[in-house]
Amino acid sequence: MLLTWTLITPVAAALASLFASSRRTMALLNVLAFGLTLGFGIALVGRVLSHGVISEWNAFLYADALSAWMVLLISAVSLGTSVYAGRYFQRDLAAGAVTPGRVRQFHVLTPLFAAGMFLVVLANNLGVMWAAVEATALASVLLVALYNRRTSLEAAWKYIILGSLALALALLGTVFIYAAACKNAPQELPSFNWSQLMTTAHQLDPHLVKLAFVLAFIGYGTKAGLAPMHTWLPDAHSEAPSPTSAMLSGVSLKVALYALLRFHILTTACLGSGFSRHFLLGFGLFSMLLAAPFILVQRNLKRMLAYSSLEHIGLICTGIAMNTPATIFGAVLHMGYHALTKPLLFVAAGNIHQTFHSLEFRIIGPGVVKVLPLTVLFMGLGAMAAVGLPPFGLFLSEMTVISGGLAAQQTTVSVLILVALLASFCGILQQLFRILPGARRPERARTERATDGLAAMALLLGGLLLFSWWLPEPLNKVMHQAAAIIGGQP
Amino acid sequence: MNQPVSTEFGAQLITLMAALMLVVQLLIIAQRMLLTTIRLFAVQSFFLAGIAAVVAFFHNAGEVYVVAVLTLIGKVIFLPWLLDRQVRRIQIVQELEPLLNPTASMLVCGGLTLLGYSVARPFTSLERLGNNTLAVAITLVLTGFFLMISRRKALTQVLALLTVENGVMLAAVALTSYGMPLVVELGVFFDVLVAVMVLGILVYRIRETFASMDTSKLSQLKG
Repeated sequence: MLLTWTLITPVAAALASLFASSRRTMALLNVLAFGLTLGFGIALVGRVLSHGVISEWNAFLYADALSAWMVLLISAVSLGTSVYAGRYFQRDLAAGAVTPGRVRQFHVLTPLFAAGMFLVVLANNLGVMWAAVEATALASVLLVALYNRRTSLEAAWKYIILGSLALALALLGTVFIYAAACKNAPQELPSFNWSQLMTTAHQLDPHLVKLAFVLAFIGYGTKAGLAPMHTWLPDAHSEAPSPTSAMLSGVSLKVALYALLRFHILTTACLGSGFSRHFLLGFGLFSMLLAAPFILVQRNLKRMLAYSSLEHIGLICTGIAMNTPATIFGAVLHMGYHALTKPLLFVAAGNIHQTFHSLEFRIIGPGVVKVLPLTVLFMGLGAMAAVGLPPFGLFLSEMTVISGGLAAQQTTVSVLILVALLASFCGILQQLFRILPGARRPERARTERATDGLAAMALLLGGLLLFSWWLPEPLNKVMHQAAAIIGGQP
Repeated sequence: MNQPVSTEFGAQLITLMAALMLVVQLLIIAQRMLLTTIRLFAVQSFFLAGIAAVVAFFHNAGEVYVVAVLTLIGKVIFLPWLLDRQVRRIQIVQELEPLLNPTASMLVCGGLTLLGYSVARPFTSLERLGNNTLAVAITLVLTGFFLMISRRKALTQVLALLTVENGVMLAAVALTSYGMPLVVELGVFFDVLVAVMVLGILVYRIRETFASMDTSKLSQLKG
């Protein structure tokens, strides 16, 4: 019943928050729910390692190593951000930026958002997976619009319209896959389960599968923020409340990528590795190369972080597309480290936002360090991790992808990755050097400091450092198995 | 089992209703009054429900009746009612400045219909019942996209999204024996309902904040 409980817990927390009497109870319920799902996630990893594949409710829910890994990521990021969210909204309420009703909305929608993501990674039926992705989009769009400013409404509108249109295409792709299954079994209602489709993948009509993959790629690729379909991403990430930005960037992009990967694995099993991986490669590389110049011209802190997410999701795609065991493992590893790093940066950005009431570089900088020394320390360390400096794990995963690519004679791609990484390395550090250090201009009025994110940041940074140096054997194993699933081994 | 004659009759019915869906889509594109557009969407959804019912009848598939009834309740009655109320609440009844005039829009949609038919041609052998249903479905998706980019009012964009969704559901009926499994149909159905409600909330807030429903005013965020 492990999978069922993983789904029920956040839904129950959402319902309880709907009727909870105080804001503190709601925040506590959220933390508790995500703490529990993290526990379930760890248990799930153990079960998957000992039993292989787990399914429940007549194979309606299905978990292999890849799903277990995603459950772990979703829970960890949600827990980290929910620890922060309680204090964050306390301050927002005091400043009059939100109403109590909106805070309740946040604490109800966030567990629903997470529950949707859990359903995406645990659903066996591709149609149900689609419905779950759409559900995450609907839950998160109201979170993006939470502040009800002109700009946040604009961001939310772009997000929902672009997202829904793209997901309509993904649904069409899902229908085509089902049509391919129907063609093989004209007399009966064929199963729409992914595990079932995989066993008959080589018999599916290749034309239909190709068409289905392209449609699903556009649909889920938009939701995953791949360039050039990424235009909603910086808007939504910068306008959402910081805890939501952290969840959007930390896991929601990867959950959409997961949905895309299920189609990629199916297509590869049907057509061989030549077709779908070229899409991942092209769009992944383009995202990486596009991110760097946009990082350099940003004037808004959270928008810059959003473009950095674009670069990381591009790297994950490229690593998977290079299709060697080493690069795919590097990409899976990168998902994990990025899921810890990006929320850390967004929490720090939240502290800065609440102290200076702005995210524009020219208003907050220079000399943030004089006002918020600890936040700046965490942000600096997080930025070092995000640009791939040692001793942080992202260095390790990036090197795994690049060296794996070089070993497999994919020199051009590896060099392009290196160029893109270097460009955004310079971009992010240059931008942060403009605002974080230095002397404050004297005419600035003293502002009340917001330091609420310290606990959450310490938790995330601690986790990142710990796992950068010490990967427990089960975690290592489950990542290798997940990489093997993506690589097409049964 | 069914007689071949009756199956042929079913196929003709489906072809007829699919064609009517396309006609209604073209009317929506030529239409400026928001309330009329909502009614037309209801009519289009009614034909979709009809197609599902015919499929259910001629295949003896009980599950598909559920889909037909859900479509009838959700898309023919509930969503148009919801949108209707929204329009009255925010008191904007007309799309004043479409980016293209109706004649040019019709011309573009004629082109998109041709495109839809040529895209669907390799897959016509897959259709179970009716001719050219898939072509109509693809055309609905394409013209829905066109409607989305050619209109500025937030509510018209919601309607465009709904016609795209109608197209996808028609494709599901056209390409597969009995439509998709019931659990998927239910998931899609509730997603669409919630989506329209969420969009309605956003439209209302946009209208309150910007004193307008014109999405071309949503242009502060760049780069």
